[in-house]
Amino acid sequence: MNTSDSEEDSYNERSALVQSESPTIPSYNQDHDMSLPQETDSKRRRPVSSGLDEPGPVERERASTPDGEEEELTLKYGAKHVIMLFIPVTLCMVVVVATIKSVSFYTEKSSQRLIYTPFEEDPNSVGQRLLNSFLNTIVMISVIVVMTIILVVLYKYRCYKFIHGWLILSSLMLLFWFSFMYLGEVFKTYNVAMDYPTLVMIIWNFGVVGMICIHWKGPLRLQQAYLIVISALMALIFIKYLPEWSAWVILGAISIYDLIAVLCPKGPLRMLVETAQERNEPIFPALIYSLPCNLDIARAQEGVESEDDAAQGGRRRYSAEEDLEEDRGVKLGLGDFIFYSVLVGKAAATGGDWNTTLACFVAILIGLCLTLLLLAIFKKALPALPISITFGLVFYFSTDNLVRPFMDSLAAHQYYI
Amino acid sequence: MNLERIPNEEKLSLCRRYYLGGFAFLPFLWLVNVLWFFREAFLKPTYTEQLQIKSYVKKSALGLIVWVAVLTTWITIFQHFRAQWGEVGDYLSFTIPLGTA
Repeated sequence: MNTSDSEEDSYNERSALVQSESPTIPSYNQDHDMSLPQETDSKRRRPVSSGLDEPGPVERERASTPDGEEEELTLKYGAKHVIMLFIPVTLCMVVVVATIKSVSFYTEKSSQRLIYTPFEEDPNSVGQRLLNSFLNTIVMISVIVVMTIILVVLYKYRCYKFIHGWLILSSLMLLFWFSFMYLGEVFKTYNVAMDYPTLVMIIWNFGVVGMICIHWKGPLRLQQAYLIVISALMALIFIKYLPEWSAWVILGAISIYDLIAVLCPKGPLRMLVETAQERNEPIFPALIYSLPCNLDIARAQEGVESEDDAAQGGRRRYSAEEDLEEDRGVKLGLGDFIFYSVLVGKAAATGGDWNTTLACFVAILIGLCLTLLLLAIFKKALPALPISITFGLVFYFSTDNLVRPFMDSLAAHQYYI
Repeated sequence: MNLERIPNEEKLSLCRRYYLGGFAFLPFLWLVNVLWFFREAFLKPTYTEQLQIKSYVKKSALGLIVWVAVLTTWITIFQHFRAQWGEVGDYLSFTIPLGTA
C-alpha cells in the first residue's frame, strides 16, 4: 500500500517537542520540537530539575517573590508536566502493543511495501539485507528532509492555506481510511459479523468528530484522545509496512535527523520554530499534543505578558491570566508519539517476549524524562527523539540478545534469582 | 479548549453548531455536545444564554436517544437474521465470521 506524501510529511513535522512560542513571552508552549522553558533561577538552586520552569522573562518579573515559594511552585509544576506527558505517551504505546499482540494483521509480512522503502530485504544474505536496509533508510530520510524543507519554505512564504489543506488531507486519511482498515482487521480477528450500514455510521462519526475536534474546537480531552489514536494508527501502519531491518535503521536515522534538524542553526525544524516565534503564531493544529497545566499554579505567575495559544489551532490572543492555563504546558509533537510507539510496537512484534517490550517502554520513558530535564535547563526547542530512541534501541537489542536467553536458561534450569 | 475561558455568546454559538451538525447523521456529535455542555447547562448558576444552551443540550440528548434506539434495533435484527437472509445478508456484511453458517 502506498501511503500518501501528506502523512509522511505531517508525521515528520510532528516529531519534536515544541518550545515556547515567543522569546519574550513566558510560555511552555513548544513548537515542533520539544522544548521546555526553564527558569535560570531554579537552575541555580535546583541541581536536578524535574520539569518545566518558566522561561527567563517570567523569572525576571518574579524576582521579587520569595525564592522558596517560587522554587517550590516551579518544582511542583515541572514534575507535574513530566507525569502529564507520561500518560499520553504510555496510552499510545499501550494501544499499539495491545493491537500488535491481538490483531495478527499488523505483524503479517505483506509483499506490499511503501514507496519510501523500495529495496526489498532478502532474508538469505545478511550483507545484502543490511545494504538494502541502509538504502531504504536513505530513501526514507531524504523524502522526510525534502518534505520538511518544503514545509518550512511554505511557512516562510506564508502559504498557510496550502499547509492547512495538506494537514486536513492527511488527517482525513488517517481518520477515515486507516481507522476503516483497523476496524476491519479487529472485526476479523474477533470473528464478529459487521454490516456495512453500521460500519459506515461508525467510521463517519469517528472521522467527522475527529476532524472537528482536531482542526476546529472541541473538548480538550477528546482532542487529546483523538491525537493519541491517530498517532497509534500511524505507528501501526509503519510497523506493518516497514521491512524488518529497515525499521530499526530508520528509527536510528530519524533520531539523528531530528537532532540535526532541531539544533543546527540552519535546520528546517529550528527555522520553523523560530519563524513561528518571530511571528508570534501558534504552530499548526493537528501536529502537536499540548498539555493543560494547573490553573492554580499558573495563577501565581500573573503579570506575565499575554501569549498565544499554541495549542490546537487557536490563533486568538488571550490575556495573561486566561492564557496561563493553556499556554503553560509542554507541547510534544505527534511524530514523537508515533516513533516511540513504532519502537515499542516492533519490540512487541518481533521480540516475542514481554521482557523486551517492557524494557523498551521503560527506556523510552526514561529518555523522555531526561529530555524534559534538558528542556528545563536549556529552555528552547529540543528534539524529543534522540535520547529516547537511543535508549530504546540499546535496551531492545541488549534485552533481546542478552537478557532473554539468560532468563530462558534460568527458567529452564529452574533457578530463581 | 476550555469552556471556562470563553464568553457566553461563544458558548451558545458552539453549542448550537454542535447541535446543528448532529443532523448530518452524527449522533456522536450530539453525545459530545451533551457531555461537554451538561455542566454549563444544568450545574452552573443562571446566566442569560443558559436557557438556550439547556434547550440545545436537551434536544441533542433526545436526538441521541433516538439514534441509539434505531441503531440498536438495526444491529439486533442484523445479527439475528444475517444467516437466514442468505445473499442479501452477505451483501450487507463487511466481515463474515468464519465457522458459522
